[in-house]
Order: sequence, then C-alpha cells, then structure tokens
Amino acid sequence: MKSVVAQWRKQKKDVFLLGKKGKIITWTKIMVSPPKFQAFTPYLVVLVELENKERVYGQLVDLDDKDPKINQNVIAVLRKTASVGSNDLIEYGVKFMPF
Amino acid sequence: MLKQVQHDDTTLSIFILFMNSIIGYFSTKFGELWDKDLSDLMFDALDGVLKKIKLEKSAIDAIFFGNMLGGVVEEKLLLEAHIAEVLGVNIPIYRVEAACASGGLAFQMAHEYLKNNSNKTVVVLGAEKMTDISAENITKSLACAASSDEQAVGLTFPGVYAMIAKLYLQKFHYKEEHLAAISVKNHAHAVLNENAHFRRYVTVDDVLESPYVAYPLKVLDSSPISDGAAALVLTNRKLVIGNQKSSQILSSEVATDCISIAKRERLDELKATKIAGEKAFKISGLKRSDISVMEVHDCFSIAEILALEDLGFWKKGEGGKHAKSMSTAAESGGNLIVNTSGGLKAAGHPVGGTGIKQIGEIHLQLTEQAGERQVRKAKYGLAHNVGGSGGLAVVSILGV
Repeated sequence: MKSVVAQWRKQKKDVFLLGKKGKIITWTKIMVSPPKFQAFTPYLVVLVELENKERVYGQLVDLDDKDPKINQNVIAVLRKTASVGSNDLIEYGVKFMPF
Repeated sequence: MLKQVQHDDTTLSIFILFMNSIIGYFSTKFGELWDKDLSDLMFDALDGVLKKIKLEKSAIDAIFFGNMLGGVVEEKLLLEAHIAEVLGVNIPIYRVEAACASGGLAFQMAHEYLKNNSNKTVVVLGAEKMTDISAENITKSLACAASSDEQAVGLTFPGVYAMIAKLYLQKFHYKEEHLAAISVKNHAHAVLNENAHFRRYVTVDDVLESPYVAYPLKVLDSSPISDGAAALVLTNRKLVIGNQKSSQILSSEVATDCISIAKRERLDELKATKIAGEKAFKISGLKRSDISVMEVHDCFSIAEILALEDLGFWKKGEGGKHAKSMSTAAESGGNLIVNTSGGLKAAGHPVGGTGIKQIGEIHLQLTEQAGERQVRKAKYGLAHNVGGSGGLAVVSILGV
C-alpha cells in the first residue's frame, strides 16, 4: 500500500500537468506488469514532450485499440492509476489521451 | 610487474607497478536452481573459486560482493555477515548494489582497492536468487531500478528498454527481425557453455513468434530470470600469482547518467556506456581493433546493439544492419566475437552475478580456458555491464 502522504505529495505536482498538450516521443505496450497494474494490463505507456519541452510519462487511454504514433498529439487528463485494496487510498494521476 | 603499453598510437613508456591480475574464476550453473538459496549460491561460488586455484581462505584480504535483490527476494540484508558465516572469515566484506551492474561495480571497486593497496588478494563475488517469487513480483522488484516517475505509470524494466527500442527501430528504419538476430546469435553461443541457463538454438522465427513482454520486445528478446553466482580472485601480490593462469586488468571504469530516460539528452544511446568506454580505452592505451572478445550487456536484444554503437565499434544507427549480418558470431570468423558465454539472454541473468560472469568469461578466453567456445589468439577483451536502463555502466578491459 502506498503511503497517503506520498500520494498527496505526488498529486501536488500532478495537478500542474492537467490539460497540458504535447507529442508522443516514444511508446510501448506493457504485457507483463507489476501486481497493482494487473487490472489494467495490457496498457500503453507513452513518453510525451510537452509544449514547454518538459518530458512526462503517462499511460495512454481512449485510443480505441489502435496503436499510437510517434509525434501524435496528446493531452494530459486525470484518471485512476492503479488497483488498490478496499481499505487503501484510491490513486489518481496523470494519463494522456489523443486530441 | 612491469608492463609497457601503447597509448594513442604513440608508444609511451608507461611502467605500471603491481598491475592487478585475475588469477581465478568459478561460476555456478545459471538457471532455476530450486535446491539453492542465496547463501548456498554464495558458498558454492566462493568455495569453487578457492578450490579451483588451490588458494586458502586465509590468503584473502577482502571480499567485494555484488547483489541487488537479497533484501527483497529472501528478505536478507547485512549480506556481508552472511558471507562471513558461510565462508568462516572475519575479513572486510563490502556489498555493492547497482541493479544489474552490481557485479561489475563490485569488480571496479575491487580494482580500485588493489590500486591503492599493494600486496593484497581479494575475491569479487556476485550472486542473485530470483526464482523464489512470482513473475509479477520479480517484475516489481526489478522495476525498483527505474525512476519514481517510470514506476508510477506502470513502466517496467522491459518497458523502458521497449521505449528505447521503439524509437531506435523507427528512427533508423529497422524491423523487429534486426533485434531478433541478437538473440539467435547468443543462444547459439550458449549451446557451448555448460553453465548457461538455455543451451538450445533459436531461430529468427522463434523470436518473432514469441509473445510480447513490452512491445516491441518479446520473450525471446529478453534475458531470463535466473539464479546463479560467480566469483573471481584478484591480486597484486606476485607470490600469489605464481604459476596461475592470469589475465591483467588494463582498466575498469564506471560512469553514471540520469535514472529516468526522460531526462536524458538522447534516447537512442546510453551515455554512461559511452563515457565509461572512452575512459576505459584511454587508460588501457588500446584501440577498438585490439579487442577480440567482448561480453556486453544484452539484457534485451536492443541493448547489445546500443552497446556496440556506444562503445565505438559500430556507427550510431548502423547497429541493426550489423546485428542482422551476425558479424560478431563465433561462426562468422570475424575479428570481434561478442557474448561467447551466451550473454545475459541465453547464459542467464542472475543480476548480481552477471557482471562477474562477464569478466570471468573474458578471463577464460584470454587464458585459453574457454573450451569449445575458445576464440583463437585473443589477447585483449572487454566486459560491459549496465545498471538499470543505463543509469550506470562499467567497462573493464583485460589483457594477457
């Protein structure tokens, strides 16, 4: 279980990414994942270069089973990021979707 | 020992006192070793190397130990004391953790220790027990060598290399079959290695038809989860060298880089490899063409291509073409043979043990103890060990 404080600390940074736009630099589809991501497997992970040149990782969602493309335009959105126990804090974070 | 070396095409009289030598190497089998725990593996490698060169444990001044996951898989820390217990010694023991480069970094630190302490003999041990937990949990444990941002989005260790591979294939117009050739070559080499995890041939089709782990990398692009241990004896004490078959450590250099690939200048190279390689060649006084045998870090097929490029043997972007031609296969008859042990891919990858096995393989080749996989007339060899996705690299050059 991730510490509630650690999740709070992470989300303080995540909030500044929401709505930011960028392009996919590279990507992969994860087929074998750590336990807390198994409910989402397989899933796409992209490395995005934002318009301010900052590079950010995130899962890619809402692509309708198509493969992403390098240089594809994406936007940062808020999504549930992992499976946790019934007594744990639900983890939210940044994912990307095409636009 | 005095030695004259060639430096930057100009013969310089560089006289090295007490050059550090490797006088012994032993490796356990690599694989799924159900009847061995970490302590068993450590003992087998230590006992094996001492018996092989008939050296009393009382002759050892210190032990350098590479291990990544003892605290996770077996819930064992203070591994120094575990080694003291299994070997029955009270000497200084130093545990080194640098993910998959734990062994290489332990070797580099032992080399530095010997450079600063004359008349000493040390053992460098690398060991890892990996198969006692599930695939999902070992994936999670290995991902600890990725950045927090990478872990937070579910990016696994294969996933990070897959991102590098995806970019490389697209940028330089290669296909997955170019990557597959690396696995085909290394499996063929491993057939001749009695300690290898996988001693069987695979074809390009076998690799291409294996399931994806992280697109575009497949199971047969990836090194396995292995148990195993390996040990080397290093000395600068002339009396200990005696009549042992020895190789000399011409250089062993380490470099680091950002842990996250997102923070790096380029995604199609490992800068730590480039820096460590340049330093190792400069200190050794050798040229690339002097090297006959290499063990490079092929945790995934793309990694061997990057290694040959970043070490300066292949031009950036041409690695895919060279890989497909299998110019570094033992059967090619070429001047540079790579991963005669089978590499991480087929010899296996017990992460703490890998860096020691790489140097041990070069030692065997240079001292003509490599049996069926012996490369003829090899005088100089190189070992390249990477931590994580390139956050650290160690490059060591040996000679006889």
